[in-house]
Amino acid sequence: MSTIIYEKIDNIGYVTLNRPEELNAMNDQMLAELDALLPQLEMDLEAKVIVFRGAGKDFCAGQDLTGVNTHEVLSEPGEHLTVKKRMEAERRRNRRWETIFNLAKPTIAQVHGHCLGTGCYLAMVCDMTIAAEDALFGDPLLRMGLLPHMPLWLYLVGMKRTKEMLYTGCYINGIEAEQIGLVNKAVPRDELDTEVERLSRGIALLPCDATAPAKDAINSVMEARGLGACWRFTNNMQLVMQQRKMLPEEFDFFKVRDKQGLKAAVEQRDRPFKKFCEER
Amino acid sequence: MPTGFGWDFKTQYMKNYWEANDWREWDFQLVIYEKVNDRIVRITLNRPDKRNAFNDRLYEDLSAAMHRANDDPDVRVVIICGAGRGFGAGHDLSSPEGEETPPVHPSINPTLQDYYGFERRRCAKYEDIMDYPKITIAQVHGKCIGASQIFTAMCDITICAEDAQFGIRGFGSQLHGLTEWPVWPLWSNKAYAGRALTEMSGAEAAELGFANKAVPADKLEEETLRWAEALSQLPSEAVAVTKEWMNGMLDIMGMGGTQRAHFHAHLALQYVHFRPDEVNLYKAKKDKGFKGFLEDRAKTATPDANK
Repeated sequence: MSTIIYEKIDNIGYVTLNRPEELNAMNDQMLAELDALLPQLEMDLEAKVIVFRGAGKDFCAGQDLTGVNTHEVLSEPGEHLTVKKRMEAERRRNRRWETIFNLAKPTIAQVHGHCLGTGCYLAMVCDMTIAAEDALFGDPLLRMGLLPHMPLWLYLVGMKRTKEMLYTGCYINGIEAEQIGLVNKAVPRDELDTEVERLSRGIALLPCDATAPAKDAINSVMEARGLGACWRFTNNMQLVMQQRKMLPEEFDFFKVRDKQGLKAAVEQRDRPFKKFCEER
Repeated sequence: MPTGFGWDFKTQYMKNYWEANDWREWDFQLVIYEKVNDRIVRITLNRPDKRNAFNDRLYEDLSAAMHRANDDPDVRVVIICGAGRGFGAGHDLSSPEGEETPPVHPSINPTLQDYYGFERRRCAKYEDIMDYPKITIAQVHGKCIGASQIFTAMCDITICAEDAQFGIRGFGSQLHGLTEWPVWPLWSNKAYAGRALTEMSGAEAAELGFANKAVPADKLEEETLRWAEALSQLPSEAVAVTKEWMNGMLDIMGMGGTQRAHFHAHLALQYVHFRPDEVNLYKAKKDKGFKGFLEDRAKTATPDANK
């Protein structure tokens, strides 16, 4: 079964992440299918707007953390890879985000349910994000000792909020996400489809020969503000983070996962922050 | 913690306490250093009779305290707060003889190169707070003005009382000193220089993204500790790398350049000639005393944010 479904309705291309049982978590297969699809999206003259969305109850829960067929998604600790191999992997990860960010047509993320970690990154690299009010955004990578790696956090929500989101790892709902500038608009869950359709149909009326250079001009401002260098810097800091030695008393997500299973590892990962985040 | 003074202009007024690890034996006079628990340190600016205004000694004590917390491997989070009525009133404008805290006392009679040394050192001081390898939380109540506001802006997290008051006043009515306005867009996309608010309440700061959360004043300490306890659970080395990553990107986005521009403008400000109708700190201090200056300035200042 395909983990990415691409379909066109009128002039709008819908890319649906399709691993609903796994909250659309990204594994190697999904990334491979996405990589194959991205050039097609660029070439498809009939699709004037691209909508990214998730099948089932969620948009995307982020990286698949099972450790099975996730070589491309996540570098596991203890992997013996040369620096060059690691570098290549990091560059592929960031190139993927950059490719979506720079697609020569407007993109919309339609977010409901969980939108976490790299799932949140996917929403961030789209031009616009429309979210359900009860969608959940968050980036808890640091809790596992992994580097959060999306430069757009700083550009979208500013310094203090970025540090808050990444240090606490707490989830915020669609309404809060709209308040801090992470998404464009939050609407009630049952109006999400209609709202995105309304927006995408509106944009699809624009001449696509005009939207492409207009988007490019906006993105060139982001380049001038340093985004290109930020991607590269992020690659390097990923390599630094991968060399981190765990202190003996520290929680080791991967060890717990391998011994007690993923569910237990996630539960232990989130436990110290649970009360704090609930009372936020 | 590297203090970044390597290429500084060595002047006759150059001070560098940290190369000699003086902070290890530091005798704290104007800050209180306490360990809340193994993982959390609280540093209290303790000069309440002067509303915690920064003079040389206070900033040195603060730096020494932050060095000590950084040197303690158990410590994960550092809280900085103010004793008395507020967090801090900024630089001590009544700077006594020999102090390099702005405004530099005329008795120093500095050359341009001396001033350059002061300004670069000030710039490095604030960047050092920004680049502190552990998580810093500013706990802000009451007034948080000028340099105190810039200090809290450099901390990772700001928790403030709803009725706290952030603001910039400066040396003279027309100048409002210099502010961190140029870097506001880095704080939040809701705030930008064009907005040019000289003063804002804690509640407004939280809404604009300058502060992370505003709470009623009587809940402030409890709320700050709640944050500190949660964040102290994070793996410390991973935090240091993540902070380096975020701050490195901020530099790419122009943070370093804006800091430098700000402090160079500050340098230029030392040579401003006040017109006869302008409130002039130096002249007012000479003619009417410091109180007289404050009264003159109050007449032209922007209204209190809380009124």
